Formats: sequence, structure tokens, C-alpha cells
Amino acid sequence: MSGLEIGIYSMPVLLLLIFLRMPIGLAMLVVGLGGTMWITGGSLVVLAKLKNETYSTFSSYSLSIVPLFLLMGQFATLGGMSAALFKAAETWLGHRKGGVAMASVGACAGFGAICGSSLATAATMGQVALPELKKYGYSGGLSTATLAAGGTLGILIPPSVVLVIYAILTEQNIAKLFLAAFIPGLLAAVGYIITISIIMRLNPGNAQLRERIPYGERFKALFDVWPVLLVFFLVVGGIYLGWFTPTEAAAIGAAGTAIIAWINGGLNKIAISDAMLATASNTAMIFIIILGAGFYNSFLALSQVPQEISGFIVEQGFNPWLVLVIVLCLYLIFGCVMDSLSMILLTVPIFFPIISVLDFGLTPEETAIWFGILVLIVVEVGLITPPVGMNLFVINAMDRTTRIVETYRNVLPFVVSDILRTAILVAFPGITLMLLRLFY
Amino acid sequence: MNTIMHKLARWMAFLGGTVLLCLVAITCISVLGRILNTVGHYPFVKENIAFLSNLLTKAGPIVGDFELVEAGVAFAIMAFLPWCQLNRAHAAVELFTGFLPKTPNRLLAMFWEILFAAVMVIITWRIYVGTTDKMRYGETTFMLQYPVWWGYAACTIAAGVACIIAIYSAWLHTKDFFDPKQGTDVDKQEIAG
Repeated sequence: MSGLEIGIYSMPVLLLLIFLRMPIGLAMLVVGLGGTMWITGGSLVVLAKLKNETYSTFSSYSLSIVPLFLLMGQFATLGGMSAALFKAAETWLGHRKGGVAMASVGACAGFGAICGSSLATAATMGQVALPELKKYGYSGGLSTATLAAGGTLGILIPPSVVLVIYAILTEQNIAKLFLAAFIPGLLAAVGYIITISIIMRLNPGNAQLRERIPYGERFKALFDVWPVLLVFFLVVGGIYLGWFTPTEAAAIGAAGTAIIAWINGGLNKIAISDAMLATASNTAMIFIIILGAGFYNSFLALSQVPQEISGFIVEQGFNPWLVLVIVLCLYLIFGCVMDSLSMILLTVPIFFPIISVLDFGLTPEETAIWFGILVLIVVEVGLITPPVGMNLFVINAMDRTTRIVETYRNVLPFVVSDILRTAILVAFPGITLMLLRLFY
Repeated sequence: MNTIMHKLARWMAFLGGTVLLCLVAITCISVLGRILNTVGHYPFVKENIAFLSNLLTKAGPIVGDFELVEAGVAFAIMAFLPWCQLNRAHAAVELFTGFLPKTPNRLLAMFWEILFAAVMVIITWRIYVGTTDKMRYGETTFMLQYPVWWGYAACTIAAGVACIIAIYSAWLHTKDFFDPKQGTDVDKQEIAG
């Protein structure tokens, strides 16, 4: 068998192993090593690689952002900022139809600005917002669906762990990717708010309205979220202005959220140890996937599969837009069963070379950044698509009285809003690239 | 046995977490030093507030801080592995096997845990060989000039603990497959732990 054939056959084998519940990182690692051994005809190359690659992956300076952002997210959940954010959003939006649900989305967006993870955002805001939604008579399904969807703003709005990984995989500038993610992230929040408004108009249920709150109180509540803004501007602004490297910014963010948590009295011994253990679990999980993906991708590169596929697609002269739409649809399908980071690490090395040789009338860098944001959005949809959407599970587990089927049904309008937004961003790359073109 | 292993994994996670917190502190101090130094070099400060400028320019970034971050984060990640392993927190697609009855699921779990342990042993062995290589060549880092093998060695030790936990976890799942009635249902134990 030629190297190319081995590479192509490795894909169904890998998928089969993953679908048999083999840990995804382990599956990529084993298939990658096995394939490399087959192509090179011995264990020499593999053993030499293993000697240094594990350490060099774990000790990578750019990847060290990942555990630091995870730590930052953990501290952010302890800080009591979620309550302040919810209150601020609620005083401004609460009197509208579906206002409390809208406020939950707004608060999630705010929390996403200091937290790079969707699950942490959904879980933290869930604790604050679910009881409030219940109090105002929102149905259980709508409440859980709103928070699950709102949670995805955690990765959409920078900082974002997924974007960091994409930036490293495709050798793009993290600051530019964060900047580009900003408008699509805000559009997502607006889209969810519109979705809630439509749902409430079609089916008012027994959600109660609340009285308007005077502007003085509104501005006071808004002022109370200044620590969030400060940390956000330090981290994202600092990277963008070149004050710090992204790793330094992540460390400063972790320190900043820790200080906020400490001031608010959320930083006791139990909380710190819980934050450490959660960071440990997530970090190890992500790095096993990164390690496995590293071996699998270097095997694929050795087998020439990505080059051959992208060469084939250019040769056939397919319509670039059609290819892009098919790729994005594949992500949506995969997202129904797989988690976002695994998906990115598994597929970007194959899809990115394809997209980067196609002509969308953009510069290569613009294409890379635009595609990165689109991928970010479609993998994030995977977090709320039934049957396997991690956010749905996390939120549903917090609300004992709502059945998962209810959550599944109510989340569909939000998924529709996501798909509409993706379509708009695909059709008009300028929306994503607007800030980038303005500032660079 | 169960409690010993859980404690071991927990303490490794705390150790890694503490290292991570130290890296946060080092990085923040370094950034602060750099900012103070930059401010001290501003022409305005230099010309008008000379004593402040002298004071500020004494501050500076920690030399080679990124080398400490690299070595520290490698150890931390390795130290995090046991906790992840014991809690079965590794990402996996559970949708399709969810339709299967318990026995084949236990068989799969046992199989993957054994494979994971085997891979972990191989990785640890290779990092150990890497350590001895770096030791033999006397390679040092660029800025701080500390031997590269220190970082490797710390990582090897953490990997050794990860091996112990991976083998223990494999044994748990094997026991669970062959003797599920004994009340060692792994999933229950993990929740309790």
C-alpha cells in the first residue's frame, strides 16, 4: 500500500475507534503512531518522535495559554461576577417581553468576555439565572435552552480557548482572531435575544412581566460590573496593543479574576482546590487530544493526504463557496456527536489546506481568519445540537424538573438562529473582517 | 487501595496547580517589571523626574521567565493527567455505545484503559530516555542556562505517577468486567471518589 492509501484508510479506522468510545486523544495517538510505523517501515522514527515530542508539546510556550485561560475561567466562576452581570443585564432588559431570558443571554455574553470556555459560562450563569427564570414563570425548557445557547457565547466572545488552538494549528495571529471574533460574538447575542423575543410573541406562556427600573439604578448596576470590563480590556486589549504576549495576558487574566474572587470573598480553601481540580481535569483532557492530534497530523502530512485532497479539489475546479458550505455542514453534522476541541484538532489540518487554496476574493490571511471564525461558530453550534450537546447536558443536570427532551425541543430555535448567522457571515465576509480592516 | 490512589492523583493535581499558580505569579511580576522599566525610560520621566526614572529603571522583566513557564507547564500538565484518568474525564464519543448493553460497554472500557496504560508506559519510557539524552549532551536553555534535562526529569517523575494511576485504572476496569457483581462498579466508585 502506498503512503497515500494508508493515510486515506486511516480515517475510517480512526472514526470507528472513536465511535467505539475510545478516548479521542488516545485514538488519534495510536492511529498516528501505527500509521507512521507502517509508512516508515519500522519503529525507529516513532520512538525518536516519542522521546521529545511529548515534552515539547506539553512545554510549548504558546500552548501554555490553554491551562492559564482555563484557570482564569475557573477563578471567574468563583468571583461572584456572574450575579453582578445578571443584575446589570436584568435592570436594562428585564421589563421587556421575555426580558429575564434576554438578560440571561446578555449576562452570558458579559461572562464570556472573561471566560474562554462554554461549559464554565453555561454552568456559572445557570446557577444565577435559572432560579430567576423560574421565579418569573418561564417554562423549564425555555430556561434551560436559553442558558445552554447563552453559554456558547463563552467561546464565541474572546478570549476563547478554541480560537487559541485554531491560531496555533494554522499559524495565525491570535490578536487578529480575537478581534475578528468580536462582532460575530455580539451578533450571536443579538440573534439569541431576537429569538427569545419571537418565541415569547408566538407563545407567551405564563412568563410574567416586570416593572421598568429607573435609569439611575440601571447605571449603578452597570457600573458594578467594572471588574469584568477591566479584566477583559487588560487581557484582550493588552494582546491587541502588544503590551503582552498572549500567554502573559492569560496569566494576568488568571491573576485578575483571582483577585476579584478574593475581594468578593469567593476565594477560600475549598474553592481554590475545586478550581485546581477542574483545571487539572480539563487541561489534561485537552492536552491528550493535542498530543494525539500532533502525532496523527504529522502522520497525515507524511502520507501527503491533505496536499493530495486540496490539489484534487483545485484541479476539479469546484466552486469555492460550495466547498466551504459542504465543509461547514460537515462540522455541523460532526458537532452532533463530538466535542468542539477534538473536532478542530481532528479536522482543521485536513480542511484548512483545502480552504486556503480556494479563491474567495480575500487575502490569504483574511481567508484564514474568516474561516477560523466560521469554524468556531459551527463547532459551537455542536454544543447545543441534540443528541450530544455538552451545554444541554450541563444545564439540564442543574434543573431536576425539566426533562432533557424539553430542552432539546426548546433549543431548536436557537440552533436556527445560529445557522442563519453563519449563513450571513459566509455570504458577507466583510462583517467578520470589518474590525480587522479598520485597525490593521 | 482506592483511597490511596485517589489521594495520590489529587495531590499530584494540587502540585501541578500550585506550579501553575507560581507561573502566573512569575509572569505577572515579570510583566510589571517590564512596564515599570519602560515607564522609567520615557523621555518625559527621565528629564523631569530623574530620581523616579533611576528607581524605575532598576526594575525589569524576570530574565528567561518564559523558560520557567515552559518547564513548569510541562510538569503541571503531566501532573494533571492522573486526576483526569481516574475521573474518566477524557473526551470520548459515547453516543453509539450508549445503545449497547452494559457488558460490551465494560469490555470496551477495559480494553481502552489497558491500551491507555500501555501507551502511558511507553511515553514515560521515552521521556526517560529523552532525559538521559539531554543529560549526556549537557544541553542548557538559552537564557537561564539551566540544564534542559531538569525539565525532562520533572516531567518523567509526573509521568511515572500517571503510569501508576493508568495501570490502577486499567486494573479497576478489568476487575469490573470480569466480576461486575462484586460491587466494584467503576462508575459508582468514581462518583463516590
